[in-house]
Amino acid sequence: MPLIQAEGLTKTFRQADKDAGLKGSVKHLFIRRYKNKVAVDNIDLSIEAGESIAYLGPNGAGKSTTIKMLTGILVPTAGRLHVDGLVPHEHRQRNARNIGVVFGQRTQLWWDIPVIESFNLARDMYEIPEATYRANLAEFTEMLGLDEFVKLPAARISLGQRMRADLCMALLHNPKILYLDEPTIGLDIAVKDRIRTFVRRLVDERGTTVMLTTHDLGDIEDICERIVIIDQGRIIHDGDLGKLKDTFARDRVIHFQIARGAELLPALLPSVRAALPDSTVEAGDDGSLSVRFDRFVFAAGEIAAAVMSRAEVEDFRIDEPAVEDLIKRVYLGQLTLADRPGSKAAPAPEPAAEAAAR
Amino acid sequence: MVVAGSHKYVSLARASLEVILTYRLSFLMNVIGTVFYVIAMFYLWRTIFGGNSAALGGFTWLEMKGYLLVAFLMNSLLTWYDEFMIGRGIREGEVASDLVRPLDFQTSRFAQAVGPVPTELATALLVAMAVAFAFGGVALPPDPVYAAVFVVSAALATLIKFGLIFCVAMGAFWTTGLYGLTTGRIAVQGVFSGALIPLAFFPDWLRAISAVLPFQGTVSTPALIYLGKVDGTAMLAMVAVQAAWAVGLIVLGRLIFRRAVRAVTIHGG
Amino acid sequence: MAARWRAVTRPIYLYFRLLGQQMKAIMAYEADFVIYAGSAVLVQLVGFIFIWTIFQRIPTINGWTMWEVVMMYALIFLTEGVGSLFFEGTWGLARLVYTGKFDSFLLRPVSPILQVVTADVGLNGLGNIVTGFILIGLSVTHVSLEWTPGRIAMLAIAIVSASAIRVAINLGTAATVFWTRSPWSSVPMFVHQLGDFAKYPLTIYSLGVQVIIVIAIPFAFVSFFPTAVVFGESPWSLPGLLTPLVAIYTVVLAVVIFRVGLRRYEGAGN
Repeated sequence: MPLIQAEGLTKTFRQADKDAGLKGSVKHLFIRRYKNKVAVDNIDLSIEAGESIAYLGPNGAGKSTTIKMLTGILVPTAGRLHVDGLVPHEHRQRNARNIGVVFGQRTQLWWDIPVIESFNLARDMYEIPEATYRANLAEFTEMLGLDEFVKLPAARISLGQRMRADLCMALLHNPKILYLDEPTIGLDIAVKDRIRTFVRRLVDERGTTVMLTTHDLGDIEDICERIVIIDQGRIIHDGDLGKLKDTFARDRVIHFQIARGAELLPALLPSVRAALPDSTVEAGDDGSLSVRFDRFVFAAGEIAAAVMSRAEVEDFRIDEPAVEDLIKRVYLGQLTLADRPGSKAAPAPEPAAEAAAR
Repeated sequence: MVVAGSHKYVSLARASLEVILTYRLSFLMNVIGTVFYVIAMFYLWRTIFGGNSAALGGFTWLEMKGYLLVAFLMNSLLTWYDEFMIGRGIREGEVASDLVRPLDFQTSRFAQAVGPVPTELATALLVAMAVAFAFGGVALPPDPVYAAVFVVSAALATLIKFGLIFCVAMGAFWTTGLYGLTTGRIAVQGVFSGALIPLAFFPDWLRAISAVLPFQGTVSTPALIYLGKVDGTAMLAMVAVQAAWAVGLIVLGRLIFRRAVRAVTIHGG
Repeated sequence: MAARWRAVTRPIYLYFRLLGQQMKAIMAYEADFVIYAGSAVLVQLVGFIFIWTIFQRIPTINGWTMWEVVMMYALIFLTEGVGSLFFEGTWGLARLVYTGKFDSFLLRPVSPILQVVTADVGLNGLGNIVTGFILIGLSVTHVSLEWTPGRIAMLAIAIVSASAIRVAINLGTAATVFWTRSPWSSVPMFVHQLGDFAKYPLTIYSLGVQVIIVIAIPFAFVSFFPTAVVFGESPWSLPGLLTPLVAIYTVVLAVVIFRVGLRRYEGAGN
């Protein structure tokens, strides 16, 4: 039985359809026209306990609307929704005990009192047993480095510290599900790292289910195994992140720095191109050579061998596929992914290296 | 100096008016809200006068109505919002930016405060006329001369009020919120300006105190001139006192401001 | 059984817990506390001066003596003080909804109404409560009545009921933000000003005004009717006996309005 189960979940908003400006407002007083905006369109979502999901989509795609319905603060227009057996909006406060929510843009801490007091208030509001509270507080304090600022009021700590405190507060009551909304926005890389590690450990060690909406793809790489993409209210992809990369993000690029490259490249290029068909070989201004290839067709070693046997290579580096590019292409409509998990696109072939090894 | 650079202040005034008009509905509700107080006063005094044509404290019922409405008009120009606006300007560092720009802080704030005045006045006048009509008319100035001097007096009253508001708003340099100080000012002003009750009703000792304070210039003086209750040299003397207080308070405000800025820039923050 | 008991005690405990925390935060601004509370005292004092000055000229207003009017006046301010000190958060509801902070309240296993009312503390309330009690005390000693335990109990009930009505009016009007979506508390402020009418005896007003402050927004039951019943002024003391019932009614109504509004908010989104 999945922890979160949504079937045909839909949310339609009724918006006033009025012209701009004063005239429009006055006209609207007499002739009320409304139009329907479908924010979430008949989505099916099934999440098991312990999964960590990235929930992506361009702005306005319906992400926050979905999360609001899952957390019970928005009533769906149609469809069925169960979270841990409860219908969220019907049992909002009971559902609240199962979840923790962290907003990147907004804090849930009390502003003028020391952070530790906010934690104590959370303990009282969620009726956390003293032993559990102490244990969690100790563990989170250590993992997130809260000691430095836990006695200061939220108003006086930095953004990174605030996020860490918010994260701690959201988890003190051992929620089954953690919703993260843009948790690393505006943070420096060190703090981002710390938070990502922390959340990953939560999933691994405590089996917390994590649902993450973010525009930061580094978050996804570090935390999530499954990626759900929503656009214009519909889920356009739902599947394993690794498989996604294997299917669609198969390109690698290796950049070689060639000795005396500027002189030798013109002659070198055709030779390498002939050796590596189905790959893109380009010359760079600085005497470098780059080869873009499908890693299921060539092994990296093959590419390196082909180039090194024809020239003296001073240095090289390999570019991994960025999830970023992938997502960008999906948003831009350049790439259409499978609609539903289990729906068949071309089956992902095994990497060339393994095939060659057999 | 004032004339030459005045266009920048005019645009500040205009911008301030635009802001008020954008929040039309709450502005309207604000005005209507304050009129409840006036209506309650009308009912109260009507009961007190008890349908008699006899005068109380030197006022007939007709005159009392006029007095109350002038008080209402005077009260609706420049409100707690202006203190709030100045305080916010101080807190959000407009002081610093004004010091850098060729703008005088006090004059800028005056322009911002005065911008909405025509709208405030127009709305208040409409409301006042409605109330007057509902309650059977009010006394009018007995003579065009009084009307003319009344306008001058009203303008001075507004200046005095601004001077007071500005001085109180200087508290923003030392406190975290002006709410308490503003409420205090409004309370004290209410008593000693004659807005609460004409000063003639006060016992002698209270009246003596009011005489040496600037507040009577904000309501009592223009109201009495409007009703023609003072004339000749007495009237001119009162106007002169108003002018003196206006100048004095504005200068005081500038002095406090200068000291505050110096203290802040020495201590930073 | 134990669970049902907890369902009652837990909100009470949480109320004081949250309010206490808020007070601690506000008290940090010590100087302001004195100014806020002091200004409230000043305002009431000024009002008292007004009433006193009027009564120098006339013996009664519509048959009501000075100390009876002072009592009505004091009740309006005392109940306002109770609202400010213990339920100030209601004034911030518009802002909470507008900034999305209200959503955070919905995500906790605690009643949203409870979280809203404890979201802020108005220290001027302390000034209003103290001064209000002083004025009530003065009026009680100056009126030649026999203070039986029954009458004293009536006064106590009157004060509690009046406070409840006040707070309920605040909450009910604040909840209109679920319909208007305004970032300001215009409607509650507007209705709050109606309370100015209730500072003086109901009998001076025309029927229209009377209907408004008795039936539409029952401010008359905050000051006028409680005063009438405590001082035994018939025939007004008779409806005055209804005050506790009116209090229950308005509180229930306010909570219902809030709940309906909340459902609307959850349907329409933010």
